[in-house]
Amino acid sequence: MSGGRRGIWLIAPALVLIGVFLVLPYLNIVLMSLRPPAVGAPYGPGFTTANFTRIFGDAYFLGVLADTAWLGLKTTLICALLGYPVAFHLARTSSRWKGLLYIFVLSPLLVGVVVRSFGWLILLSGNGVINQWLRGLGLIDMPLTLMNNSFGVTLALVHVFLPFMILPLIGAIQSIDPNLALAARSLGASPVQVFRRVWLPLSWPGIQAGCILVFVLSLSAYVTPVMLGGAQVKTMSVLVVQALIDNFRWPAGAALALVLAATGGLAVWLFVRLSRPMMRGLE
Amino acid sequence: MMLRMLALGVIGLVYVFLLTPIVLIVLMSLNAGEFLAFPPQGLSFRWYGALFSNEGFIRAMRTSLIVASVATVVSTLIGTAAALYFVRYAGPWRDRLRLLLMMPLMLPEILTAIALLFFLYATGVGTRTMAGLLIGHTLITLPYVFINVSASLYNFDRSIEQAARSLGANPWVCFRRITLPLIKPGLITGALFAFIISFDLFNLSLLLKGVGMTTLPLQLFDYLRWDFDPTAAAVSSVSIVMTLLVVLIIDRTVGLRSLRFG
Repeated sequence: MSGGRRGIWLIAPALVLIGVFLVLPYLNIVLMSLRPPAVGAPYGPGFTTANFTRIFGDAYFLGVLADTAWLGLKTTLICALLGYPVAFHLARTSSRWKGLLYIFVLSPLLVGVVVRSFGWLILLSGNGVINQWLRGLGLIDMPLTLMNNSFGVTLALVHVFLPFMILPLIGAIQSIDPNLALAARSLGASPVQVFRRVWLPLSWPGIQAGCILVFVLSLSAYVTPVMLGGAQVKTMSVLVVQALIDNFRWPAGAALALVLAATGGLAVWLFVRLSRPMMRGLE
Repeated sequence: MMLRMLALGVIGLVYVFLLTPIVLIVLMSLNAGEFLAFPPQGLSFRWYGALFSNEGFIRAMRTSLIVASVATVVSTLIGTAAALYFVRYAGPWRDRLRLLLMMPLMLPEILTAIALLFFLYATGVGTRTMAGLLIGHTLITLPYVFINVSASLYNFDRSIEQAARSLGANPWVCFRRITLPLIKPGLITGALFAFIISFDLFNLSLLLKGVGMTTLPLQLFDYLRWDFDPTAAAVSSVSIVMTLLVVLIIDRTVGLRSLRFG
């Protein structure tokens, strides 16, 4: 079949949908970010680079960008540390509870993000469940500040994105031949050595995929930082939505969104580059 | 042995961490008391009564159901056709095609929402109607259908179709009687998933909703700004129970193993 021309009508609707409503709009964001602001309208005529120079010349924006990146990095690291043992267990177990455990892992993914963040609100707020209990036990007099700070936001983000780390890891770990670990053990390697020299490098593609997913997703998270961060934790997405909806300044919002996307892209590129030696060993 | 116990302990804690907020919400919604207190002060369905007499929530729920249903039907039709082409005819551009079709899933939702918002205004469609919401939700749910149907097409013995054709079935009869029943597991899983994803979508709806229009997650978000009572827990529980039902249906009809996420 040359060029896959046969049955082209099957793919045409999907291509039109994605081409018209995804590719074109993304190109259009670039255009929008170069528009001047206007009064009484989302944007004015003509083009300018002022939106970008303003972001890079303003310590406030750069600070928020750095905070957002740091939040993403923390979330990714914690997800990797918590997700690996769970994925390892789920990939290698033959327990009859496997199906149920799989649903447990998926559950945060299937429940809406507002609902999940609300669950954390109930737990962490000033008179929330945790504070009520601690006070009931007489451990504290004043409620602990568990939310409206980066602790609460990070905790909830880890909860929201942990499945995105665990799922690719399960796939990667399942594809490793367990005999390799047995061989290493019988040749005198300690369990820690086996993990470092066998499991870790061989499951690296899963780690990489999971880390990229979680990092990119947490960079652009909006609901969780707003609900659990209050006015204290500002992330780039919050600023973007503010510019678009509250202030009706579309070009500024577009520029902020592009800077955020570029930061994410750059971080992913850097990560892929740095972990190339790990991946090369697999070929 | 010690190391093993420690590892199992950590794994157990992670599961507790994953489930606690969700279980807690359901418990809270059955609370007879005035506040979100734990343990609940007696069991009651009063907050569900409050929910069903709250017109804002009822209207939002209706909008969410309409949007999710339309988006699911359209993305199931388009996604299934795309999967058929991808597995059978794609040829040399297969990898690039897959990347393109998975893009709505991989791009940050908020960025896609912004892009669509600008585009809808630039083309004059605007957000006065539900069109923007429907387009956005269809776009986001497409990859879920595509990936699940593709997966069920891979382990598909095409000689059955050829046998049907050689026995005189026309292409449409062959599709309806042979292909469709065989890809049903992927189709059902993909469609149900598309429905849940659309029902829970927030960022996209926030930016694309029409004037005076709201979906259930948006309404809940707004409600939580001012009120912090068990009604919100009841709304959340309705959405949790719905998700649970969908998972059960998938498990009963086609088995959870057929589930694909990327």
